[in-house]
Amino acid sequence: MSATPPRAPAAAPKDVEARQPAPTPVAFPPAALKDECEAILSRYPTRQAALIPILLLAQGHYDNWVSPEVEAGVAEYIGVSDSHVRGVLSFYSMFNLKPAGKHEVWVCRTLTCWLRGAAKLRDTALEKAQAERAGVVGEDGKFLVKNMECLGLCEVAPAVFVDGVAHTNVTNEKLVELMDACE
Amino acid sequence: MAKKRYPETKILSKNFDKENSWTFDVARENGAYTMFEKALKEMTPDQVIEEVKTSRLRGRGGAGFPTGVKWSFVPKDVDKPKYLALNADESEPGTFKDRWLMELDPHMVLEGCLICAYATGLSTIYIYVRGEYPLSQERLWGAIREAEEKGFLGENIQGSGFSCNAYVHTGAGAYICGEETGLLESLEGKRGHPRIKPPFPAVEGAFGCPTVINNVETLAHVPWIIEHGGEAFAKQGIAPDPDNPRSNGSTGTKLFGVSGDIKTPGCWEFEFGITVKELLYDYAGGPLDGREIKAVIPGGLSMPVLTADELDVPMGFDDLVKVGSGLGTACAIVMDDTCCMVEASENIAHFFADESCGQCTPCREGCHWMEKIFKKFNANQGTRSDLDLLEGLFVNIEGRTICALADAAVWPLRSIIRKFRHEFVAKMTPEEQAAEKEAQAEKARETAGVS
Ligand SMILES: Cc1cc2nc3c(=O)[nH]c(=O)nc-3n(C[C@H](O)[C@H](O)[C@H](O)COP(=O)(O)O)c2cc1C
Ligand code: SF4
Ligand code: FES
Repeated sequence: MSATPPRAPAAAPKDVEARQPAPTPVAFPPAALKDECEAILSRYPTRQAALIPILLLAQGHYDNWVSPEVEAGVAEYIGVSDSHVRGVLSFYSMFNLKPAGKHEVWVCRTLTCWLRGAAKLRDTALEKAQAERAGVVGEDGKFLVKNMECLGLCEVAPAVFVDGVAHTNVTNEKLVELMDACE
Repeated sequence: MAKKRYPETKILSKNFDKENSWTFDVARENGAYTMFEKALKEMTPDQVIEEVKTSRLRGRGGAGFPTGVKWSFVPKDVDKPKYLALNADESEPGTFKDRWLMELDPHMVLEGCLICAYATGLSTIYIYVRGEYPLSQERLWGAIREAEEKGFLGENIQGSGFSCNAYVHTGAGAYICGEETGLLESLEGKRGHPRIKPPFPAVEGAFGCPTVINNVETLAHVPWIIEHGGEAFAKQGIAPDPDNPRSNGSTGTKLFGVSGDIKTPGCWEFEFGITVKELLYDYAGGPLDGREIKAVIPGGLSMPVLTADELDVPMGFDDLVKVGSGLGTACAIVMDDTCCMVEASENIAHFFADESCGQCTPCREGCHWMEKIFKKFNANQGTRSDLDLLEGLFVNIEGRTICALADAAVWPLRSIIRKFRHEFVAKMTPEEQAAEKEAQAEKARETAGVS
């Protein structure tokens, strides 16, 4: 029986990005978050259960996004894989996996707000942010506008959040004012 | 004589108008924790469960499962810890009633949780609040701290030997985490992928342990039931259908909400029995000036629509099912004559496509597919076979997935394309519109010929 000739290694397809070097994890938790992280961990029978609340804390601490370095730092601290953390981050709409600009604006797009004029609000927000679409930071890096699903403020729709603060019965003028007030 | 307005009954909402209603002092003045004390001191856990069973209280989170029955599934003699996961995810579109309860009366919510904990013998309460409700989280944490200080939470509560702790757990934006097993996965620090049942959470829930999952409003009812008895609760609202032994009726009071194209959106509490029409016209102010109501989803986004002619029906569990819809969260979304139902369909389909967790192919692919078809109509490129394709998709999605999100997508959309077909026809290509007209004429001729 003749030996099978060794297979030539498959050439990497051209459009696949070169593998990124593994990120260097940040030292997590930073001093400012230590107590709070420990308090959160103490509430659950597993460390993993603290992951989402701790990621929210981390995002707030590190400029409103979770970088690969922060992701790796949190993964190490909790004791789960980086890929588990990435899977969680990409599942929930409140996490940002890219630099998020200085201010984050949420515009609800769901039925009640839409009936009450939310599509116009979204267009206004995107225009002011100079962003081509929701979910990407505008040209000057100032705003991240996100399309959100129902924010539970339907009786006072349309609803908008600016940097975590809810605003209700929002008109076009009010939205412009709110965004102008952002430094 | 003018028709009498259906009266409000303020039980859950009794403190809503009071100043600082969310503080311990105000809540306590109005009786907070006295029923928890009564249960602790005068009742056995089984007596509490019996009382809740007698009340016929049904879950207020959407599925309407009898609460007392659910509690009785929790095993008594296990060495494992047991948990209560309070479902405060409230992500159903159009729904905001739990937010009112958590912001305005967090102590009533907590008291309900504690009575449930005592009845089912568990000692850890996780309140899973969606990330988009910062004020609810703050008020609940405040209530927990106060209750701890006053000795209603913690070790050996009121010297009874019963211990219990409560924590707020923050979600991070995902509708599917309102589905009870999606919630459990999320609570465990994972993606919110619903689990295949069985095992049911009462037996194997959070961290592999027995877990009770109830909606915020469901448990807020419990203190009143302990105070007045299950019988008194069961006498309110709509009694079970005597001809149907499996019927549970719609007993007690309920928070009802209205939003959308309506004059005065809001939230009110009534005994079950108020009709959709009374709610919309007598409380929510009716349509905006110069407009007419066209369609109403009676509870959230996930139920079939009712047309303007179908609103004379009580907002009850069984009553709405009888007319082909459902109570859902009992927070109605109103669409008026300025709303294009085809555009509304695209908006609705987008929601479900966005929120599908992606585990089941019919849901993951189907929701996007439906949205694409509605987009095509909205570009005036629809065809008659697209409508047939949608009907085919409904069949292939409904009932074929792990959780009910996919069904929730089908129900409103199917009812809209059936009840408002003409609006879809108006967005077909000219050739298809002509073909549809011809087909309708043919049908009319046939019917005329037969008769
Ligand atoms: C897609 C989906 C989303 C849901 N969202 C919620 C929710 O936000 N809040 C809630 O209480 N129940 C929600 N439910 C219902 C829960 O699965 C569960 O039935 C409920 O929390 C049980 O509590 P109850 O018996 O007190 O109603 C949802 C169900 C599905 C299928
Ligand atoms: S039906 Fe949809 S949301 Fe539910 S488990 Fe399947 S894919 Fe996920
Ligand atoms: S639909 Fe926008 S807040 Fe509910």
